[in-house]
Amino acid sequence: MSFLRTAPAFRAGLGMRTIHTSRVAAVQASKQVRAIAADETAGFKYTAENAILKGTVNDAVAVPTPNKAHGSYHWAFERLVSAAIIPATVAAAVASPTAHPIMDGVLGVTILIHSHIGFSACIDDYVDERKFGALGTACRWLLRVGTAGALVGIYEFNTNDIGLTELCEKVWKA
Amino acid sequence: MARRFVQTNSISEMEGLKLLNTQRMNRPVSPHLDIYQPQVTWVLSGLHRITGVAVAGVFYVGALTYLLHPIYPAIDSAHLIEAVHNLPVWFKTSAKVAFALPLTFHSFNGIRHLMWDTGKGLTMKGVYASGYAVMAASVISTIYLAFFV
Repeated sequence: MSFLRTAPAFRAGLGMRTIHTSRVAAVQASKQVRAIAADETAGFKYTAENAILKGTVNDAVAVPTPNKAHGSYHWAFERLVSAAIIPATVAAAVASPTAHPIMDGVLGVTILIHSHIGFSACIDDYVDERKFGALGTACRWLLRVGTAGALVGIYEFNTNDIGLTELCEKVWKA
Repeated sequence: MARRFVQTNSISEMEGLKLLNTQRMNRPVSPHLDIYQPQVTWVLSGLHRITGVAVAGVFYVGALTYLLHPIYPAIDSAHLIEAVHNLPVWFKTSAKVAFALPLTFHSFNGIRHLMWDTGKGLTMKGVYASGYAVMAASVISTIYLAFFV
């Protein structure tokens, strides 16, 4: 009869064990009403240098609301811009920059967007607002102003001067 | 009667959190990159960001400098080309290597990243093979650009 005796254990291994309702009731009864807010830090400040988190060990870190514009679309856009630099470079190098200033402008703007995304990723990693506060916000705005200024500079250089491609060619062979 | 050596104090939840955060203040920072053995995987990954920031930095500085052209008309392509032309050859060649190596590396490694994004070459062997290919392509193209163009 050894088979019969091992049967319950075998069933338990498959996760078919019956639930002891008394245990569940006990757990429910021990649940306490929250006494501390989930963002409480007990007077400690969350800075770049320490490991202070909001709330107790039982409070999960706040998860941002899922947003495709910050997720899959953003990711796809980044790859699209990165990949676009390859044909843009080839086209700008092959075509005469003086005859096709728009091609040269497209290359400049594509590299600018790619660079802006790259710098943003660095801010996310090294000076994020969540940890660095005002410094992170300042970096974010410095980048925005820098990108806007660089965009104007690229436009001006493309319309009044020789453009990016020809500059590279001429400086390289100077 | 048995003597107890362990005592427990009843503290409020807020005091508990304060104690927890006091302990959190004493936590060591996790080990930094320099404790790891240099490997093709993470070294190239780090270089990808460093070279990207370097090349993009030159691009931004250049584009922003041209904004001063209305104030200083000497800031234009003709003057820059003239200035570079007058530099000694050894300096020009060194500068070309210093600029071409990060640019070609970031470009080739960028293609490697785009390949990964399509799900290709994501094995240990594949990552090393493409890593060495990127290094070789960067060095060869830099030598070509700096010495033969």
